Amino acid sequence: MSESIIETKGLCKSYGGTLRVKDLHMVVPEGAIYGFLGPNGAGKSTTLKMLLGLTHPTGGEIEILHQRMNDKNRLSVLRDIGSLIESPSYYGHLTGEENLRILQILRKAPEQNIAEVLKIVRLTGQKDKKASQYSLGMKQRLGLAAALLSHPRLLILDEPTNGLDPAGIQEMRELICELPQQFGMTVVVSSHLLSEIDQMATHVGVIANGVLVYQDTMAHLHEKSEHHLALRTLNNASAQALLRHHGIISEQREEVLLLPPLPDRTIADCISMLTAQQIGIVRIEDRRKNLEDIFLALTEGAASL
Amino acid sequence: MIALQMEFYKCKRRWLWLPPLLMLAAQMLWGLWSYIDMDARALSQGWADILYSFPLLNAMMTPVVAAVLASRIADIEHKGQTLKLLQTVQSAGSVFDAKFLCAGAYMTVFVALQLATIVIFGVLRGFAGTPPWSRLLEYTVGTLLTTLTILLFQLVLSLLLSNQMIGMIAGLIGALLGLFSLFFPPSFQRFFIWAYYAVLYNTVMDWNETTRIVTYRFTGFAWDGVIGILLFFAAIYIIGRRLFIKKEV
Repeated sequence: MSESIIETKGLCKSYGGTLRVKDLHMVVPEGAIYGFLGPNGAGKSTTLKMLLGLTHPTGGEIEILHQRMNDKNRLSVLRDIGSLIESPSYYGHLTGEENLRILQILRKAPEQNIAEVLKIVRLTGQKDKKASQYSLGMKQRLGLAAALLSHPRLLILDEPTNGLDPAGIQEMRELICELPQQFGMTVVVSSHLLSEIDQMATHVGVIANGVLVYQDTMAHLHEKSEHHLALRTLNNASAQALLRHHGIISEQREEVLLLPPLPDRTIADCISMLTAQQIGIVRIEDRRKNLEDIFLALTEGAASL
Repeated sequence: MIALQMEFYKCKRRWLWLPPLLMLAAQMLWGLWSYIDMDARALSQGWADILYSFPLLNAMMTPVVAAVLASRIADIEHKGQTLKLLQTVQSAGSVFDAKFLCAGAYMTVFVALQLATIVIFGVLRGFAGTPPWSRLLEYTVGTLLTTLTILLFQLVLSLLLSNQMIGMIAGLIGALLGLFSLFFPPSFQRFFIWAYYAVLYNTVMDWNETTRIVTYRFTGFAWDGVIGILLFFAAIYIIGRRLFIKKEV
């Protein structure tokens, strides 16, 4: 794993005595698109707000951009971080360009960055329109433009596709996927939608009830999707005994026998053997535990997919 | 400085100067109307008379205008949920300071214009003697400190609570308190920020029941009242700023 750009240790946050984020150890490698996945109310926004210093942790440490973040260095650390938390932030009575100008001056970013980010998020043609007249998708893109304004090394996006129509979601996803290659940014993007993270992220952290229940590369998560061979016969008990006799352990579940992944030759031999014993084979199929099953198992069914 | 500059930039198209200007226009119409018909006796006590009337008008109107101004300057952050973005580029304390300085600038200009109106009107109307500059300075100090303290109180409410109705109601209650505080015992007046227009009066009105003649005259300025309102200002500033910083967005 490459060097981490975010690392939290034992991060906790409690509200009214209830721990909303518990002992979180989050590691985000540099250059990754880190999908922060979890059901609604799992603690994603609270965690991201803590990373930005908008919410004070009850306990634990945050190391971000190789610096341990505290109240004193918070703003200097955040200079290299762009963020879009929950809904987009904007001044409705100002134009898109004026909204960006406020942040450009406060961030002390070069003036030409405004035109650049407007182009990236495809809002150049709408820059003189008041933000209150923007559609939700345009407001989200304005929020993304604001986050990109100072060419940050790290981008933290909290549910950036929330409320967007399918075309808007597709557009936002494309934008996010382009960022690491085009600008060398690391992106942390949260979502409660597995399919969304699956299409964007290189790394994933799954949070449920405030606990980080899984964290690794997406590739590893895909590897967890197990193969099974489901065999249905006219006499499952005899078939299971016969297979066991030949060293193949199966598990009876509902009306099928679940066999581990086997080479094609072995499968062919098993079929011949069962047929020779006059055990009628009704169905044989390849079964794979998909990502949704894994996610549901990890989050104990609390997810909305 | 950049934070303050941005605060003025954000207020573009918000017409923030309108509420104080409307108040000034109303005060001119209402307050100055009564000075059109004046005899030689009235003109001789014109300066004391006008410095008695304007604090009364301020007590009635300023809390409402301060509530409107504070609400308009704070509401842009609540409506657009911009505090969570702003606080990634500037500290909550600097947002608070910039907002107060911006709103305070509008109110300070209002007080200056009001003073200019009083002086110009007094001279044009022929009030006896030259303008009493030391008395006008006392009036300005009293008006400015009370107005800015009320504005600060309103701003704290408007920034902490997203429901701006609460601030507006507080403004209306403040206006009523300001008006009725004129009838409070002097020691009791000092517990209410809205009553400081009355506490810091430097004129008195004598009403002679038998002759039914009203006489206005200058009196001592309550410098201890200045300390009182400054203490209120400091307390509201320290507590309000701390609450705003501690507020999670």
